[in-house]
Amino acid sequence: MNANTHPSGNRSGDPALATAGRIPALLRARINRQTACSMVTCVHCGKCAQSCHYSLARPHDPFMTPAYKADQIRKIFNRHLDWLGRVFPRWVGAGGKTEETDLSHLKDIVFGTCSGCRRCTFNCPMGVDNAALIRLARGILMEVGVVPQGMSNVCRNQWEMGNQMRVTEEDFIDSLSWVRDEVQYELGVDDVEIGVDKEDCDFIYAVNPREVKYDPRSLINAAKFFYLAGESWTLPRNGWDQTNFGLFSGDDRLGAFMAGNLYQAAARLRAKRIVVSECGHGYRSVRWEGYNWAKHNQQIPTESVIETIMRYLRAGRIKVDRSRNTASVTFHDSCNVARYSGLVEEPRWILKQVCSDFREMHPNRTDNYCCTGGSGLLVMPEYRALRLEVAKIKAEQLKATGADIVCTMCHNCRDGLGDLISHYQLDMKVVQIMDLVANALILPEKHGS
Amino acid sequence: MNEFLGIIQHELHMAALAFMGIAYILRIIWLLNFSAARERTLPAGQPAGAVVSSLLAVAKPWTREGSSRNPVFYIQFVLFHLGAAAAISLTFFIPYRPELLKYEFFVRTLQIILGAAFAVGLHRLYRRMAEPSLRLISTPDDYFALIMMTVFYAAGIGAISVNSLMMGNGPLLVFFLMAAFFHFYVPFSKIIHYLYYPFTRYYLGKTMGHRNIGNGRISSLS
Repeated sequence: MNANTHPSGNRSGDPALATAGRIPALLRARINRQTACSMVTCVHCGKCAQSCHYSLARPHDPFMTPAYKADQIRKIFNRHLDWLGRVFPRWVGAGGKTEETDLSHLKDIVFGTCSGCRRCTFNCPMGVDNAALIRLARGILMEVGVVPQGMSNVCRNQWEMGNQMRVTEEDFIDSLSWVRDEVQYELGVDDVEIGVDKEDCDFIYAVNPREVKYDPRSLINAAKFFYLAGESWTLPRNGWDQTNFGLFSGDDRLGAFMAGNLYQAAARLRAKRIVVSECGHGYRSVRWEGYNWAKHNQQIPTESVIETIMRYLRAGRIKVDRSRNTASVTFHDSCNVARYSGLVEEPRWILKQVCSDFREMHPNRTDNYCCTGGSGLLVMPEYRALRLEVAKIKAEQLKATGADIVCTMCHNCRDGLGDLISHYQLDMKVVQIMDLVANALILPEKHGS
Repeated sequence: MNEFLGIIQHELHMAALAFMGIAYILRIIWLLNFSAARERTLPAGQPAGAVVSSLLAVAKPWTREGSSRNPVFYIQFVLFHLGAAAAISLTFFIPYRPELLKYEFFVRTLQIILGAAFAVGLHRLYRRMAEPSLRLISTPDDYFALIMMTVFYAAGIGAISVNSLMMGNGPLLVFFLMAAFFHFYVPFSKIIHYLYYPFTRYYLGKTMGHRNIGNGRISSLS
């Protein structure tokens, strides 16, 4: 290629035009049959607006309609990949020349006005997966560098450090020894072991970096349960971060890198199972998308720690007393766990064992509303005002339960819900399932009461 | 006139249908040229049932919040598409099974269906123009396809009412010319969505079934 020629082939000298000109080729390289189906099947019936919390919270604003958001990438598809759009672009809504696309505007739509919750997909009569189209657009913008700063920073952290919070290996090991001491203190024992890179364990445990850096309660609880259940487990030295900003940014290569780190660690340590701590997008990434991104055929079971705890409870390996959690509890289904991963009954089964007053919010399960912090919105402060405005739908849903506690199995949802609870001044606190299990835990005699 | 009508009813109709069929085949080949994403994970559920369920989603309004909360919209959807089925059926009944049109009940039923579909079409057109969110996402093709279908239903009513209204062959001519145009235009419009529907629904259902999404059971396969 000529040194004066932009990678897109554009010779105008205008960088914005040249960057936008790269989009069709990037789209062509990324699209598959599933997303192509979603591109061509939309009939613009507008039903999606009735299920999107952005549209519901801003009924006066047509730009919040999911089909409109998806159309921003669909029109580029129509213009460049569908011959009909090439011949009659205006007639089928293929728009003007792609080089004239306002990338900043496109960025604000796909990163700032959609949490990828997939509620519109479930309510689309045609089965159009708008969330997949939004993620596709995000991935293309990621490739050309038109990305919100916060998203870019976290992605860079994962590429550079292998975890999203720049935790060093020394900090990681130091935190684990602190967690071990804490568990030993709480249980009154001195033989708790939190292994790192132990081979041939029953499972390898992957966590969210916030459990290591800011909030070790989840890891302490998990270590406690694993110890009481007599489990053989380990954390990997590399690949312990189960979160994956490849999912949020649409960058499949980052997705493959992060998930691949964990899969390689599991293979290297000959683990029989991969267990993921309570995290919605982390679970979805590790359990489902990661294997496909990394082109790694799944060979060992991969599960959420919620499934692990459920197995312990069913087998009597740990015991709980539901009368220790008397406050009213409702459950928030994470989008990534329920609508993307199908894990809806397991958390409920556990909550019914550990809470004396469990009540559903409505709608629930795969119909639940997003916490409004999904898809990386929590690291993009420029969209916070809109996020909290549309969170009124979720706030009303929470308020209607009359519950004292909203429980979730996702760190991201925990922060998103905490933010809206504070903003809308709801008299409610947010916890995770492990917190309630820990509170209901019956310690064996030798560990005290 | 009768000879001209005969050509339109038979030769032109068949030519238009053949063109539509070829265009459909080309569209499917084009769609299948996109490579399907490969699934590398172990299943948590059974895809087969979920695929069937997904394909039948159109007949299960209670599975979608929007339709269950607003059944009127779903009823309109049913009437509109019954109208399409009735109008298309008429393009075959009139030239090939005219004896069916001697049964008053049969004719009345088709007239009612087409009339209802026509009314729904008008309402949909009004809605598309009146609702800001729909107006924003609508393309010229969205409007034209809707107008064309609505007029086609009206032409269908005219065609089936020829005998009772003693209107001569004019309505039949309009109806069959519209039908031919319809067959030529559909592959290039959003009306082709019914061709894509099975593919889109198949892949969505397959993914949902593989991941055990929405079946209300605890997965035991992981």
